Amino acid sequence: MIARLEGRLIDIVLWGSLAAILIFFYIPIFTLIAFSFQEGRFLTLPFEGISLRWYGELFRNANALNALWNSTLIAVITTVIATAIGTMAAIAAVRYRFRGSDAFRLLAGVPLAFPQLLLGIVLLLWFSVLGRMLDFSTGITTAIIGHIVYITPFAMVIVAVQVYNFDATVEDAARDCGASSFEVYRYVTIPLLWPGIFSAAIFAFLLSWGNFYLTYSLAGSTRTLPTFIFSGIAIGSSPLYPAIATVIFIPGILLVILANRLRRT
Amino acid sequence: MADEVPRSWRDPDLLIKALPTVLLQTTCFLAPLVMTFLLTFQRSRNFQLQWSWDLWTWTDVFSKPHYWTILGHTIFMAAACVAICLIIAFPIAYGLATRFKAWENEIKVLITFAFITDATLKIYGWALFLDKNGMANYTLSSIGLPPEMVAFLYTDWATLLGMVYSLSAFAIFTLYLSISNIDRSLILAAYDAGAGKFRAHWEVTLPLCKPGIWAGSVLIFLLSVGAFLEPKVLGGGKSPMSAELIRQTFETRVNWPLGAALTLVLMVVSVFIVLLFSRLIGLKRAGLAA
Repeated sequence: MIARLEGRLIDIVLWGSLAAILIFFYIPIFTLIAFSFQEGRFLTLPFEGISLRWYGELFRNANALNALWNSTLIAVITTVIATAIGTMAAIAAVRYRFRGSDAFRLLAGVPLAFPQLLLGIVLLLWFSVLGRMLDFSTGITTAIIGHIVYITPFAMVIVAVQVYNFDATVEDAARDCGASSFEVYRYVTIPLLWPGIFSAAIFAFLLSWGNFYLTYSLAGSTRTLPTFIFSGIAIGSSPLYPAIATVIFIPGILLVILANRLRRT
Repeated sequence: MADEVPRSWRDPDLLIKALPTVLLQTTCFLAPLVMTFLLTFQRSRNFQLQWSWDLWTWTDVFSKPHYWTILGHTIFMAAACVAICLIIAFPIAYGLATRFKAWENEIKVLITFAFITDATLKIYGWALFLDKNGMANYTLSSIGLPPEMVAFLYTDWATLLGMVYSLSAFAIFTLYLSISNIDRSLILAAYDAGAGKFRAHWEVTLPLCKPGIWAGSVLIFLLSVGAFLEPKVLGGGKSPMSAELIRQTFETRVNWPLGAALTLVLMVVSVFIVLLFSRLIGLKRAGLAA
């Protein structure tokens, strides 16, 4: 009797705290969504009316569209490169034993625990000094390099989970049947790792697309969505910015759902 | 599923896979760090970097208590953030690993999405919510509470709230992993030995998820030491933290050597604190064993 009461109580506490944390997590997100439909110019309550006015403004605003394009370009290139490097690193880190493999894992993973702002600053110094010597300035390319440094470890960790659960005997079987090592990769390894690789790519894309700190330091005068929004907060904003936010949320939630589906199968 | 035979670095299979990462992280992570260190021995004059190779910058850093007060404040905020994150993450992680099975995937999607959404947006959303004329006050006053009850935007509390918000998902994920790796039969054994739910939890579950607690704490601590958006947007820049000080040193004062030195001090001090704590915890464990 007491045990059952206890179980009941624990259930209430756990579900209660889950509800509390989800509300906590979604407060700012729903605040932004709500304000994006505000008719008036100011971001205060009560609403003057509900309209899609600011979404229209958004698609007429050249700076916002330009920022959207830059974000997407940076994210796509980062995703491809970071996922490729991260996947290879994951296989090397989990499957192979070699001299210095511990040092390799440390080196490959340490940017994960490095504050992004500081990483951005350290890289900015690096590119500024190199740039002075080799005559280039910061811009889209340096931003992409910064994103790759930060996101590759994430991709590696996600793929590593998949590699860890991978049965290597399948590869041996293919080899015994006469497959070349390219064929083994093409028809066995890559297809089996695919769910992990694909969800790593999705996360890489989202992390890069929404990245503020590295872009802020490294993109020079190029604006991406997050830096565009940050500059908007400073100059006394209009519902244009919540509208941008809402537009950003939609592909985000869809991609997260997709990644989750993939990892389950 | 590791190889039986150790591979040499001359093996092309290994080389192809490991070399890109090694090249990337040495040229774009280690090398910049080394250069940052070297920059601290230079001087900045009239906003220009001069290669002078002396200890001028370091004397400056060690002679101004202002920098160290900010550093202390930063460390304190980071520690508070770690503690709060662990407390709020534990029930969620525990529930996810044990009782939320039916909704596990949906919950994970919701948490992941909130976690991965752009930091600027979320912090901006909080600023709008907590504003004097924002959502929180409007809701509270419309149910009859006194106006402007939520008045902690632009205080340290708002900064802390933002930091906990941005980082608590790390604690949820690391705790979840370590709790779901616990062997259920150990807990059942505790019940058989007559322990109640609470006691089994305290003496079996908690000690067994120590690695998760530790991993989450280290990650959150190191990342929150670099918090910048939260103190700036939610804290209103009133009591600056190290990251903002560093940023200003680069941006407004254009003093690269000083900025580099402050960056290194922040990194070294936080890594030192992590090592110190891991040593302390290690000692305690050894003491218990003896």
